[in-house]
Amino acid sequence: MSVQQQPEPRPPAAPPPGGAGAANVTPAAVAGGATAPLVEMRHISVAFGGVKAVDNVSIDVRPGEVVGLVGGNGAGKSTLMRSLSGAHKADSGEILIDGKPVTIANPRDAKNAGIETIYQTLALADNINAPANLFLGREILTGVGTLDDSAMEDATRKVMGRLNPNFKRFRSPVRNLSGGQRQSVAIARAVHFNAKVLIMDEPTAALGPAETEQVRELIRQLKSEGLGIFLVSHDIHDVIDLAERISVMYHGRLVGTVDKTDVTIDEVLGMIILGQPPDKLNREQIQSLR
Amino acid sequence: MTSSVATSEHETGSLRDRVMDLVRATEIDGRLLGMIVTLIGIEIGFGLYTGGSILSPVNLLTFATQAVQIAIIATGMVLVIVSRNIDLSVGSVLGVVAMTYAVLMHEVFPTTIGVDTPYGWLIALGAGLLIGIILGAIQGFLIAYMKIPSFVVTLGGLLAFRGLVFDISGGSTQAPDDTQFVVLGGGPLGSLGGTISWAFGAVIIVAIALYLYYNRRQRRRFGFPVRPMWAEVGIGVVGLLIVVGGVAISNAYHWPAGLIEQYAAQHGISPEGLVIEAGVPWPAVILLAVTLVMTFLATKRKFGRYVYAIGGNPEAAELGGINTRWTIMKIYILMGILCAISAAISSAQINGATNDLGNGYELLVISAAVIGGTSFAGGVGTIPGAVLGAIVIYALRYNLQYIGLPSNNQDIVIAVVLIAAVAFDTYSRRNAT
Amino acid sequence: MRKRLLAMATLTVLVFAACNSSGTGGSGAPGGTGAAGGGCLVGVSWNNYDQERWKKADEPAIKKAIEAGGGTYTSTDAHDASEQQNKDIDTLINKGVKVIILLAKDAASITPAVTKAEQAGIQIIGYDRLIEDEKALYITFNNKRVGTIMAQELLAVQPTGNYAIIKGDPGDANAKFLRDGMDEGGLKAAVDSGKVKIVGEQNTPNWDTTGAKNEMQAILNANNNKVDAVLSENDGMATGVSQALQAVGLNIPLSGQDGDAAALNRVALGQQTVSVWKNAFALGETAGNAAIQMCAGTKLADVKAPSDLPDASKPADLASHPFTTPGGKTVTSFILNPTPIKKDNLSAVIDSGWVTKDQVCAKVTPGSVTPC
Ligand SMILES: Nc1ncnc2c1ncn2[C@@H]1O[C@H](COP(=O)(O)OP(=O)(O)OP(=O)(O)O)[C@@H](O)[C@H]1O
Ligand SMILES: [Mg+2]
Repeated sequence: MSVQQQPEPRPPAAPPPGGAGAANVTPAAVAGGATAPLVEMRHISVAFGGVKAVDNVSIDVRPGEVVGLVGGNGAGKSTLMRSLSGAHKADSGEILIDGKPVTIANPRDAKNAGIETIYQTLALADNINAPANLFLGREILTGVGTLDDSAMEDATRKVMGRLNPNFKRFRSPVRNLSGGQRQSVAIARAVHFNAKVLIMDEPTAALGPAETEQVRELIRQLKSEGLGIFLVSHDIHDVIDLAERISVMYHGRLVGTVDKTDVTIDEVLGMIILGQPPDKLNREQIQSLR
Repeated sequence: MTSSVATSEHETGSLRDRVMDLVRATEIDGRLLGMIVTLIGIEIGFGLYTGGSILSPVNLLTFATQAVQIAIIATGMVLVIVSRNIDLSVGSVLGVVAMTYAVLMHEVFPTTIGVDTPYGWLIALGAGLLIGIILGAIQGFLIAYMKIPSFVVTLGGLLAFRGLVFDISGGSTQAPDDTQFVVLGGGPLGSLGGTISWAFGAVIIVAIALYLYYNRRQRRRFGFPVRPMWAEVGIGVVGLLIVVGGVAISNAYHWPAGLIEQYAAQHGISPEGLVIEAGVPWPAVILLAVTLVMTFLATKRKFGRYVYAIGGNPEAAELGGINTRWTIMKIYILMGILCAISAAISSAQINGATNDLGNGYELLVISAAVIGGTSFAGGVGTIPGAVLGAIVIYALRYNLQYIGLPSNNQDIVIAVVLIAAVAFDTYSRRNAT
Repeated sequence: MRKRLLAMATLTVLVFAACNSSGTGGSGAPGGTGAAGGGCLVGVSWNNYDQERWKKADEPAIKKAIEAGGGTYTSTDAHDASEQQNKDIDTLINKGVKVIILLAKDAASITPAVTKAEQAGIQIIGYDRLIEDEKALYITFNNKRVGTIMAQELLAVQPTGNYAIIKGDPGDANAKFLRDGMDEGGLKAAVDSGKVKIVGEQNTPNWDTTGAKNEMQAILNANNNKVDAVLSENDGMATGVSQALQAVGLNIPLSGQDGDAAALNRVALGQQTVSVWKNAFALGETAGNAAIQMCAGTKLADVKAPSDLPDASKPADLASHPFTTPGGKTVTSFILNPTPIKKDNLSAVIDSGWVTKDQVCAKVTPGSVTPC
């Protein structure tokens, strides 16, 4: 497989407002607006003690679509996503997959429903190696029921070849890997199992520019394969670049979900920082953000 | 396609680097090697002190056999500590099971199925195993499903089960055991004998060869780097030498005069010139089997993988969809089984059970695991390491007894050596990375 | 929340289970609370109730004597830990006992608690083990004599040769008394005259059986099994020693004490020469009886031993005698006599109710010894 080395400067060149990045969007995704949602989360609420981390939020994603989930620190993005991946059960609300209500009580339920997650914390066991982490909970076994470590390593080498060809340390405990290498392992784990829905919570936070571009390319590719992707990111350019729609959260509430083509970066920033939908924001407020 | 993993990054490095590379190429755990070196150092030291007499086969066999009870439980303690838990109840569980064996054989069987029947001791073993499993399951359930800290639960177990020993025994020492059962304790009468020992050694050598071959083939299947051939053959030869040496040492211990006379009298022959090789003691055979099975569980089964994952990052294990609670509960059930096996050997070695049997074992078992490289931070530890840890402790204790050092001073020496060993290991590891 | 409660409940059950099976507190005295109607509340602080004899003989005998005198019995168990025993004494003080019968784990470290009890007006009986306190009554067996008997009995059957000595816990004064007694029983003379050589001598932490077995193995190996007799200071350790001997085909003279059923069985089987038996029924009766006398205000010097003690145990006369402790203090004491149990007087222990014939005679060829 040929490695794409884009000599892109860091930080990535900001596409002009209005999303000229649309050039990268596949036609399939543009047509996504018409298809039925793959996953729908309705009126989800999660509270920690008295703190309403997620307050009556509804979002959805369609096949072949990337939905960017943005918001300030502590807005509730991760918590919302964790309730979809089974890490934390929502207090109320409903989750529908292909239009049918489902119960996601634990990570296994989510995985069985085809939902894979890259957690913000990566969720790696530091003391075991990359293949062991990749297959954690879904080990490949030999005919006699023992762990087939060779087969797992082989599969890991293959996925990694796609994601991060420079990755070589398949036998070291992931503790000894760099932040970016660890993130690669977490991403590899999410994409290896033919997911229908992918949750990516800050997937590129620790990656270098080349690896970041690799992940972007991967997202585009997965999108074209028809996956629905929730992309949580603080990099607004990333989101504008990759997402079809953007959902903005503010203090646990959903400010709104907007089509990328309908908004400017400034308007999205306004939603994130001021917690108001674009039509409620006036020019001065947006101006004040500059 | 197959490249060598031994390609050194510092070919012009110092001697130390080159030695480290050699070791790395064999993929042997450095900690284990350190323990073996420590053990050899202890033996050489005492050998010099006693003019070599301490290195005779009987001495090596004696301390190895004495270490078995602790070593067996320590293999399980590794998994307990790796999963970020603790088990303080092992000595008391052992006490309960040992007393169960003894009461069955000493009080129950004589009035029911009869004394020294061919199967009585097996019934006792089965019953003890069941009790071990039940006690382990109770504790495991409280820890895994009720989320009570393992320290608290097993501290409770330490007290409650010791009390239970007393209830089972009615307060008396229960002795003797079944004569067939006593064989499990080792000694000349509890050993394989010369011929079977060699057969046993041969089986192990074949197993090592097969294992090395299988591993190599498995890695070639996917075109992975394999060990250089010299390392592969080297490991095989070292394994062969260890097995042959072990059997030879065991067979070099001959039945003592008293036993020879008894044997001669029973068989109506002359004791003159009669030599019987003792061979590998049963406790050593049992320990070897336990170590292999436990290593297999820990490294080749999902269960072991999950235990280590839980220790490395409990949240990651949970998010990976692992049934962490059932895994933890299984660890404690396993501990119950190991305690029951160890109890059989403990009881056989004193041919009965006293109310204090197993008292204080928790500290020895935990020490063996920790000295063997298990970390209280969780996620790290090996089973062979713990076994070696136990053997090092008993080698020291035995040798100090042998030279007649008073017991209080034995404790001092053991403490100093153990701390020094662990400190050296920590130091060299810090320098290595 | 429900989960928490359930967890707490489980823990409580666990703790109670622990208390029930390992504690001895008031197992017979309901509630173990204050003495009824001005009777005397007597508290016993056991050190290691786990050992066979306390429950079987000492406790019932003490209790019987106390109740016969109209008093009430209560108790604690320190699980072989000095710190715990200090706390136990506090507990007994708080319960309002008048007399404490104290089986001390450690003579020195128990002193603060003893002082505290005496300041609270409580009288102390040092039971079976010495406490260094002049205000206390010391009731024990002639422990030195136990060692003396062991040495005498073994020297009688094995006057010459290599001797091994397996001693008790190094922190237990009793272990030292026993050892001194052995010297008085002729061991020192035999060693000095060159008839006997001590080829191994080792203390056993906690009098542990497996520990004793391991020590014996070391001694045997260090001497090429050329050991002719073993002086073990108690029967529990003799259990371990005996197994180490049998494993190498040795059947040599072996001593012990306590009259453990397993040891008496070994005596019957010819695997142990003697178990020195301290008739604990007699000791308990003396202590319980003395406690009642002290409660009634009898001066320490005027307390008398009960007249119905078995002859073998009875001291020379029933009056108390001054006893000089190793610490140089003079305490008032009753010193009872231990009984050597050998092949020829096994019936004595069976008749007293200490052990059953079945226990003594297990696996013994019928007719080979008197009771079997
Ligand atoms: N396990 C928890 N216990 C208590 N409070 C929590 C927990 N997890 C999250 N919270 C709280 O819920 C709120 C939302 O947190 P969340 O992690 O979802 O934010 P986020 O939008 O992902 O923020 P960031 O951009 O910093 O990752 C925060 O106030 C946080 O403190
Ligand atoms: Mg987050």
